[in-house]
Amino acid sequence: MLELRLVQGSLLKKVLEAIKDLVNDANFDCSATGFSLQAMDSSHVALVALLLRSEGFEHYRCDRSISMGMNLGNMSKMLKCAGNDDIITIKADDGSDTVTFMFESPTQDKISDFEMKLMDIDSEHLGIPEAEYHAIVRMPSAEFARICKDLASIGDTVVISVTKEGVKFSTRGDIGTANIVLRQNTTVDKPEEATIIEMNEPVSLTFALRYMNSFTKATPLSNTVTISLSSELPVVVEYKIAEMGYVRFYLAPKIEEDEDETKPQV
Amino acid sequence: MLTFRQSHLFRCTFCITRPLTPLLPPSSSHFLPSNSPFFRPKPLSLSSLNPHSNMSTRPSAFDALMSNARRLAGKKSSSSSSPTKKRKSLDSSPTENPNPLKTVGSAEVKHDPEVSSDGIGKPINDSPKPNLDEAKKPPDSKKVKVGSASERNVEMKGKIRLLKKKPADFDPNMVACWEKGERVPFLFLSLAFDLISNETGRIVITDIVCNMLRTVIATTPDDLVATVYLAANKVAPAHEGLELGIGDASIIKALAEACGRTESQVKSQYKDKGDLGLVAQASRSSQSMMRKPDPLTVIKVFDTFRLIAKESGKDSQEKKKNRIKSLLVAATDCEPQYLIRLLQTKLRIGFSEQTLLAALGQAAVYNEQHSKPPPNVQSPLEEAAKIVKQVFSILPVYDKIVPALLTGGVWDLPKSCGFTPGVPVGPMLAKPTKGVAEIINKFQDIDFICEYKYDGERAQVMEFEIHYMENGSVEIYSRNAECNTGKFPDVVAAISRFKKSSVKSFVLDCELVAYDRVQKKILPFQILITRARKNVVVSEIKVDVCIFAFDILYLNGQPLLHEQLKVRKERLYDSFEEEPGFFQFATALTSNDLEEIQTFLNSAVSSSCEGLIIKTLDRDATYEPSKRSLNWLKLKKDYMESIGDTLDLVPIAAFHGRGKRTGFYGAFLLACYDENNEEFQSICKIGTGFSEAELEERSASLRSKVIPEPKSYYRCSEMMKPDVWFETTEVWEVKAADLTISPVHRAAIGIVDPDKGISLRFPRLVRVREDKTPEQASSSEQVAEMYNAQKHNQTNNEDDGEDD
Repeated sequence: MLELRLVQGSLLKKVLEAIKDLVNDANFDCSATGFSLQAMDSSHVALVALLLRSEGFEHYRCDRSISMGMNLGNMSKMLKCAGNDDIITIKADDGSDTVTFMFESPTQDKISDFEMKLMDIDSEHLGIPEAEYHAIVRMPSAEFARICKDLASIGDTVVISVTKEGVKFSTRGDIGTANIVLRQNTTVDKPEEATIIEMNEPVSLTFALRYMNSFTKATPLSNTVTISLSSELPVVVEYKIAEMGYVRFYLAPKIEEDEDETKPQV
Repeated sequence: MLTFRQSHLFRCTFCITRPLTPLLPPSSSHFLPSNSPFFRPKPLSLSSLNPHSNMSTRPSAFDALMSNARRLAGKKSSSSSSPTKKRKSLDSSPTENPNPLKTVGSAEVKHDPEVSSDGIGKPINDSPKPNLDEAKKPPDSKKVKVGSASERNVEMKGKIRLLKKKPADFDPNMVACWEKGERVPFLFLSLAFDLISNETGRIVITDIVCNMLRTVIATTPDDLVATVYLAANKVAPAHEGLELGIGDASIIKALAEACGRTESQVKSQYKDKGDLGLVAQASRSSQSMMRKPDPLTVIKVFDTFRLIAKESGKDSQEKKKNRIKSLLVAATDCEPQYLIRLLQTKLRIGFSEQTLLAALGQAAVYNEQHSKPPPNVQSPLEEAAKIVKQVFSILPVYDKIVPALLTGGVWDLPKSCGFTPGVPVGPMLAKPTKGVAEIINKFQDIDFICEYKYDGERAQVMEFEIHYMENGSVEIYSRNAECNTGKFPDVVAAISRFKKSSVKSFVLDCELVAYDRVQKKILPFQILITRARKNVVVSEIKVDVCIFAFDILYLNGQPLLHEQLKVRKERLYDSFEEEPGFFQFATALTSNDLEEIQTFLNSAVSSSCEGLIIKTLDRDATYEPSKRSLNWLKLKKDYMESIGDTLDLVPIAAFHGRGKRTGFYGAFLLACYDENNEEFQSICKIGTGFSEAELEERSASLRSKVIPEPKSYYRCSEMMKPDVWFETTEVWEVKAADLTISPVHRAAIGIVDPDKGISLRFPRLVRVREDKTPEQASSSEQVAEMYNAQKHNQTNNEDDGEDD
């Protein structure tokens, strides 16, 4: 028996919008501690990890840990039927092959039940090791989204480099090049507007903008985004969900293209 | 379905540690023992073996992190498993892979990843104990296999050559690098394909295929159906109409995304290499991966192919592309090349489906535990190959044949797999002849029947009893086993009207011909093809068709294939009634008088028929599906004036037109298809027989099919330098005056002359065959036969006896 009641139903809607383009099908894992998901995109280049802790739900009942395979496109279709102020309850019976989403309007005068078929998904769960990151940038999420969108109109890839000067996003395309530099800026009225750069070592990495732009779909979830970088490691782009958890995107970097050189063995 | 995988859960909640807790002292607590490598090392073996296959050397940028984590772990956590074991074992399903749990257990990770930046190493009291216990055990069993995947690939590559051994000396255990019952790796099949592509001899190829199939049978017989389907490069029996339906554009897109390149890069490489398979093979990835996916298995590839084929509707191209991508990213070694070729349904490694069937039969003989060959069989291998081929011609469904082979053995196959209602058999075909005299000669002392050869669409119309329906369901299949039921709703609606009440079920072999019911006249084929192709509404039909039935294959639950034609004809006449303009029996004549047949031929031609089909009545007159039998001969109206039959040829290249034809192509290079070598062999240049409009139309339709380089499977002389090359798409019916040996063309090379081909003299375009695919063009063997027949007639006009 599973019953999760989320007063802020719009949150779940936003989460789905954030990840459904990256991943088609995924297992939602539900345990006593929280509601979570981990999935890779079909190219195995990006990974999304979602956590909604049990404390964030108004009511959280999960008798046994279960894993529910869902098609995120279909799930999103259903959640779109919920109003933004609706309370969403996720329900599933033990052994059932469906999950039910219940939407209650804030005034309690409309209650909708949507039942969705579950699917069997082979998922590969990866343990994610703790790592030291060379640099961590925290910045307004809207700013990051803007940068990624702008750069994508010029080129396919973004080079993110962190130096003591600040963080630089640059790209190169047929029509020319673009460079955007952000400096540390903590003297702002609201803390979420700050740009904070912690750097141990300078780092410079290249990523496919296609993925970055897919990550920025999570912008509505959080005012700030945290980007953690280390050379030759996947970047982590994290959107915190207030008092609930997070959506984290991991993206494998691109490798400098040397057409003629054989790959060095690692 | 709800699946309870507690392990997942804990991995999620516990193992995803905070990347946002950097700048902290290194912590061992989050180290993951090796076989759940978040960041998997590059498969060294492959890259070192084959530096060109770069899909396999897809970089894993996470080695660094992994080794970092390992190093850190080494300092603090001596209890963790050996760091050399890098790879997750192949078969570990998510529930079986306990390592993340172990991480939890050994490290006692913080409970709450979110707040725990300071909580590293804090013991958690409520960690679920049972899971921890569970987690302790399995890792050991895993360790044995860990790291074996790449080693296994090397081993497989070393052993694959053993498939070339003579089947008698071959032991499947010599090459099998996987456990019994384990899913057959796709690499095994790819390597076998690779081995085959370097061979030219049919016997060697059959041996390889046979040994390959035996290996599958000996280890994982469940995978045999998928293996056979992939080897045949099909996803389903022809009559199901399921096709992959993937264009090069989708593949290019998938390839570009899978290896982090742009489409234009892939396209330009495609231009250079002319084969997307090779492009995939050589594609160097510039995009690292989170983790190399598990190695592909035959079953996984085949299942994905079927899913791709079934994808339809909105966004289906996108979904197909994503499925292709997921296969591509998992492909290593020579897999990408064959994966792409299979997706294009252009395997082209030089073996035909007939070879596959023969190999399947032989493999079954070696596997025979069920029954010994009947004592009177001289060469069981050849006999078995024959049986499988024959059964396949009647029931071209691997899903039925393969399980029957495995359970019942090859000798009982004809019993277990016979004619099945609902599955169309390949139509029996006729050999061309040159004149009435030849027929009389061939069929001396044999009763035969002459029928009009109608110029329409060959069809199998079938109706079956369905218990809960008053009227059976009617299906119509074309000669390619394509379902045409939706194209001829008028036929479907009318057919039961013509059968007598005693008839419950039947399969008719017939010709659907465009017919003018007012003038009672047969209309040419060109009119018939103006009908819409699918979802035809009866009320909107403008071209009426008449069914000309000439054979019956199944009646009231009884297959009639083994009956003589005489019997079948009787049954046909007994079971149906003619209705002029709607349903007629093919006009027939039984005679052996030369004059009479000649007159009959003339009357056939004057009633808009193509000529005559001559069939033996009661000797060797069983129905042989898909066979071009000597017992059916065809005589076309224009036989006398030129070579016996028209040829169906494929334009593969063209020369720019000059003068009046400037702007179009002036001449085309045509090719026939060699089934055994799977190649197109040039046969002639053609520049006549086109009206200006036709030329313009053909030029326009082929212009979009231009490819930069000839395909590797085009066989033509270097002296021939066409201006452009085409993808093989169209089939043209061509008539010619004569066949000659040619030093320039390559048709039927090696059959008639060891190093000269055959070419056509004065070829003229008759029409475009919309109903044929390039692979169904005239085969080299047919060309050679026609050449031989012509030679006979020239040197010895009297008697051409028993030629082959």
